[in-house]
This record gives sequence, structure tokens and C-alpha cells, in this order.
Amino acid sequence: MKLRRLVIPVLAAACLSGQGLDPAKLLKLPVETWPTYNGDYSGRRFSPLSRINASNVTAMTLAWEYRINMGPGAEGDTSIKATPLEVNGVLYFTVPDHAWAVDARTGRQLWHYKWETHGGIHIGNRGFGMYGDWLYFETPDNYLICLNAKDGTERWHVEIADVKQEYFSTPAPIVVHNHIIVGVGGDSLDVPGYLEARDPETGQVQWRWNSTPRKGEFGADTWPNQEAMEHGGGMTWVPGTYDPELNLYYLGTGNPNPVMAGQGRKGDNLWTCSIVALNPDNGKLAWYFQASPHDTHDWDAAQTPVLIDGQINGQPRKLIAQASRNGYFFLLDRTNGKNLLSKPFIDLNWSKGVDAKGQPIPDPAKEPHTNGTLVIPASGGASNWPPPSFDPETGLFYVNSSSSYSLFYLTDIEDKPEGYGGRDSGVWSEVALKAIDYKTGQIRWSHEYGARPGGGAGILTTAGKLLFTGDPNGNFIAYDPATGRILWHSHLIANVSNGPMTYELDGQQYLLVGAGDSLYAFTVLH
Amino acid sequence: MFRLLQTGAGIIIFAAGVAPLVGQPPQPQAPRPGRSFLISRDVPDRAAVERGQKIFVARCGFCHGSNANGGESGPDLVRSVLALDDEGGDKIGPVIRSGRPDKGMPAFALSDDQIKDVAAFLRSRQQAAIDRSTYTIQNIVTGDAKKGQAYFNGAGRCNTCHSPTGDLAKIATKYDPVALQSRLVYPRTQRPRRAEGPEPKTVPTLVTVTLASGQTITGRLEYIDDFDVALRDAAGDYHSFTRDAGVKVDVRDPLAAHEELLKKYTDDEMHDLVAYLETLK
Repeated sequence: MKLRRLVIPVLAAACLSGQGLDPAKLLKLPVETWPTYNGDYSGRRFSPLSRINASNVTAMTLAWEYRINMGPGAEGDTSIKATPLEVNGVLYFTVPDHAWAVDARTGRQLWHYKWETHGGIHIGNRGFGMYGDWLYFETPDNYLICLNAKDGTERWHVEIADVKQEYFSTPAPIVVHNHIIVGVGGDSLDVPGYLEARDPETGQVQWRWNSTPRKGEFGADTWPNQEAMEHGGGMTWVPGTYDPELNLYYLGTGNPNPVMAGQGRKGDNLWTCSIVALNPDNGKLAWYFQASPHDTHDWDAAQTPVLIDGQINGQPRKLIAQASRNGYFFLLDRTNGKNLLSKPFIDLNWSKGVDAKGQPIPDPAKEPHTNGTLVIPASGGASNWPPPSFDPETGLFYVNSSSSYSLFYLTDIEDKPEGYGGRDSGVWSEVALKAIDYKTGQIRWSHEYGARPGGGAGILTTAGKLLFTGDPNGNFIAYDPATGRILWHSHLIANVSNGPMTYELDGQQYLLVGAGDSLYAFTVLH
Repeated sequence: MFRLLQTGAGIIIFAAGVAPLVGQPPQPQAPRPGRSFLISRDVPDRAAVERGQKIFVARCGFCHGSNANGGESGPDLVRSVLALDDEGGDKIGPVIRSGRPDKGMPAFALSDDQIKDVAAFLRSRQQAAIDRSTYTIQNIVTGDAKKGQAYFNGAGRCNTCHSPTGDLAKIATKYDPVALQSRLVYPRTQRPRRAEGPEPKTVPTLVTVTLASGQTITGRLEYIDDFDVALRDAAGDYHSFTRDAGVKVDVRDPLAAHEELLKKYTDDEMHDLVAYLETLK
């Protein structure tokens, strides 16, 4: 590893002619390159870099700051929720309808691209996928846009979903082989979810996987009728993970629709609220595990399913773990989806335990009722899209969790409700950073921030024996991942709004984080 | 190199490197400010919606249901792709006028204006389903007031801090039941957008900071995190402190009892309490 680090500057100098992404980088740990949403395919967000480490982090200081300027007529939330990509010294990131390239050493802007929107909910954008010289991102009005990384010029755009049906798109595309894997969102009017692979050269569909079955297909018996399953939701709005050896793409799917009124869709409602394994070359389902059968609380299972190469009973195992929005931590065998562990990581009141397959059994008494049902967690969940992290050196899975109560009201009592069919009102929440032992689900340590809303920060761990994340008070914090002790902090202009990432250039390690409309790069000067 | 950026105010010229590169899909239609973020298409004219509803109920409702969400023989039009794709009758008009003989739908001789009105009605039905912030919460006063009173004075120990003739006198005239239920569970709350009644008062949290020197200062908590604490003293002066080793911070949350109860309530106990508080008029 040390030798490789010494060699990199030489290699970089030799490769000065190219700005594009070498696909081999996608199969390596992120060092001088952060080529995909989670840094690598595993979803661990663990960096092998250690120039910034537990012994010098107190000297970490601001290298540069970049504040986005969307220009006139800006729409919607301007928070940077994207994890920037970093390729050959350039950072690429997005907010809804906008994309930027900035110099990773200085924060100097190289280009800004703006998409003229047709509408759609402008709630966030999780960033780019990259294939060679080309960048791909999705828009609130459901276009997949391909840009030239060199200058931000548009190569093409294709429509991937219909905004008039209330679809809107937020995920970062994930590039596997020559597939641009794109997902969609939108649960206002009961549309069906799907995941697609698109051609990197043309944007044309290579395959589509529907997250609810069609009539007569496997899984159709978990819905009462064809209309319910074809309006059944199951959005694909958070980027998935990938195991190159098994050639399986892992995705957490969205909740069923109508979101809070379940009387028109009795049954388990496959494949909503599930972790699914798909063949990335043809979109065929290899296995599924349902985190929330028949959900009625907006608890999708879209949270990043993280690949862990671990040991169970002394045997090496290929595992996958998720801290799910419904409050359960799940550990599965990622070769076949078999459940190994289901354990709540917050106190919850909606479940009657788990069935033989390890799937939680919902308590019908805690479904939304017309007079209000008090439920923990709230609709925002015990966790949400902000990326968690797994540190192979501590063996701990880290998640920003929310113990939150909400009153859930059923508002549509028709046999066939439409739209959400209900609403909820958050009453109380407490946010905490939790370190979960992946083998047992035990909380090894927890840092509580007190009774307050929040929890939008992602997490990064590094070989420098550091964990980086944000608190609900606008602080960016470095923790000791083994003990939860705070080692460093800096107060930013807003709460951390994305997953922090890191890269090394010219022997200098940078720690990059988004907070509201600003990107901050921190470093320890040598 | 220069690029053009079209805005509502005209054309602005930016130097390359700063300029946004403008994608050009057909017919851009930006969401408008001042409306629910869930609604990104035009809201139809109210009078047109009312006219359209009358036509729809009389001519279409028998098969499609008077709310357009489907009936015995006609499909749901609220979630219909064709009806969602429609603009001012351009998609539904031809179907209405030609019918769908293969599916048993007869042709209807509606005028252009009538078709536009029906389109406005369908759009309003779609938007009513889409915009969950406007959903009406139904009757929630379903509990047993006597049991609620017993809980108030017994297991809940609400009477430790509250009195039906003191701070809670006529409480049911100040808040609607939905706001009341939310506030009794936890008074600092996100209220449903349409709830009636005044904005909730903020209950102050008191804090005492003891410095390493032994000096203490007490006031209303303004801010606290892992690193700093700030308060406003009785004179209204602001003080902030770094939470170094040796600095002791004692926060007294007046809502601690609510937090404790919130984790214990059954839904029936909560509904009984609402029913009891609803008697305080």
C-alpha cells in the first residue's frame, strides 16, 4: 500500500492527457479517485487514506470553500445532497437541475451546467455517475442527462419517467460494466416503481426491472388485484451497491402506495420495502428480502445496503447489512438473501417481532387510523437516505439514527384510497450517531444529540482511525470510531447535507463535505 | 466564447466558465412559487372546476364515479395516464367525442368549452389526491372523557403540573382537537398545516452554567450543542460559554414529563385524554 501511494504522483503525471475515468478505478478502494457515489461499489464509505488521522486531526483546517451560485430563477432546495465524484483532480457534483465541476485542489469552478426544468418535486439530487469522459445525472422532471466531463457541454438527454404522472428523480446513476443504472422516485399519485439500465452512448433502455409484479408474475399473489400492484409504488431512489465477484447489484426499494392507506392493497406488497439482488446485465431478480411487509408508514427500505466481508462463527462470509428506515438492522447472506440477524437499533412500537424469514411482523393496531396512532419511528424513519458507513477495522456499522414519534392519521377510508391516503404529524425526535456491531446488532456506542429534529448527515470512516459526520447543530465532527469520543469539530454555515468524502492529491489528503449551498475542503498541512 | 441565458427579464450574456450551459428540452415549464411544493402544474380555475363537476356528475359519473375514481364499468380517471397527460382537454376530448366502442363507452357530444371544464375538474381531482398537505383529518374525538379524566388525575399524573380550572381552563376553545392531541403528546410540535388556533407558545427551558471558578449563571436556554452553550439571563442579556472541562451545564427541561409519558401512552389513553380535554370549554 505504501509503495502504491508513492507511485501515484508519477502515474498521475504520466496520465496528464486524460480527464476521463479509468473503469478499473471502480473496482478499487478510493484513494486518489472517488469515482462513484459511495466511493466504491461496496457502500462502506471507508477510505484507506490515513494522512489525516487520529494523531493530527486536531490540526485539520480549511483548505478552501466553494459556494454554489445557481443564477437567476433558481428553484427548490439548494442543499448539496450529492456526494461529489473526484476524478483526475476534478470534483463533479449536482443539486436539482444544476451541475458543477471544480478543481479538487483549489475549489476553482471549471464549469456550471443548468437544465431548464419542466417541473417535478425539487427535493434533492444525489450526484453523478461517470463512464469514461461522460457524466450522467437525473433531474426532477426525470431526464437522464449526459455531459462531457471536460467542459460540461450536454451530449444528450433522454426521458426516463413521466413528470405528469408525478414521478421525480433524485438518485445518482451507478455505472456497472457498460450499464448506466438509473432509478426513479415519486409517491404522490400511486405510480409503479422501476429500475433501468441505460446505454452509456445513447441513453436507450437496456433493461427494466419493475419493483412490483405484473399480472400473473411471481409475487402477484402478495397484492389483491392488478390495479393495486400497478399503482403500488416501490421507488428506486437511492443508489445501490454491487459485488463484482457475484455480479449482483443490490438495491433497497421504496414503500408501497398509497403510502399510508393499506386497505386497498392487502398483502405483503412485493417487492416494495425490500432489499433485492439483481443481475446488472439483464435486470433479473436473483433474490429478495422484505424489510417491511405491507408498510403503511412511508418506511421505504431504500437505505444503502452495505457489503461486508465478515466472519460468522469463524467462517468467512459475504454479507450485506442495512440500518433500515423502519428501525431494524438487518444482516443477510448476500449470495442468497438469507437472513442472519434482524434487530431494532431504536426502541420501536409497531412490530410484533419477526417471522421465520427474519421479516418484521407489523402490528395492525399501529397502522394509521382516523383518530391518530402514535408511532415510533415517525414517517421520516429511524434512518433515511444519508449514507451510513462500515469500518472493517472496528467491525462497526455507523448510522445517524432518529428516535422519533409521529401521529399517523388515515384520511382516506375508501376501499380504494388514492394518493397518500393519510398524513402524519411529527411530535418529537431525538437524534443519535450509533455504532452497531454487525454480528450481533448490539449498539457498541451511541452519541446522543438530545431532543431535536435532524439527522441528514452521511458518514465516512477512514484508515486514519477517524469517523466524519455532522450533528443537527451545524457542526462537522471527527469521532474516534472505536469509542465515539469527539476529536475535532468545525461549525459550518448549515448542517452537513451530504455524505462526506475524501481523496489524496500531491500527497495531500482532503476531507470534503457539503453543508447547505457550500462545499468545504479540509486538510492537515504538511 | 459567450453563451446566452434566457431569463424572464430578457437575455443576459455571461462569459464562458461562469455561464450555465443551458439544456434545451421542449416547452420548459418551471414550478411556480407560492403553492404547495407538491403541485408543479397549473391549478385550474375554480369556476371551470365547478362547471366541469356538474357536467361530469351528470354525464360521466354513472360509469366513472362522481369523484372520477372509477366505478362498476368505467376506469379511475384520477390516476389515469391519459387524463394526467391531458392539457385543457387535448387528450380526453377525442375520447369523449368518439367514445371507446370496444370497451362499451359511448360517444358524448360535448362542446369545446364543456370538455375544457371537464378537464379542469379532473385536474382538480388529481391535485386533491396529490397534495397531501390539504387532506382533511376526520373526527378524532373518539375516546372516553371519563377515562381520560381518571388518567389525567391518576396514572398520567398530568395534574402534577396542569389544572382543568387553571392553565387548561377552556383549552378546547383555544385549539382544535387535532392540535390538542398533538400538543398533549408533546407541546413543542410541528402542527398540521391547516390546524386552527393560535401558534403554540414556546415553553422556556432553563439552564444553569457553573464555571470552573465556581461562578454560576442561570437563564433561558438559547442554544446548546456538544461544544457551546448560550443563555439569556433575567435582564435579557445574552451569554455564551465554551463547554471546556470544568464547565458544568444543568439543563432543566419543563417538558421532561411529556417526554416520559410519550413513550408510555397507549393510543386509547391518548384518545381518552383528548376526549377529556375537549370537555374543557
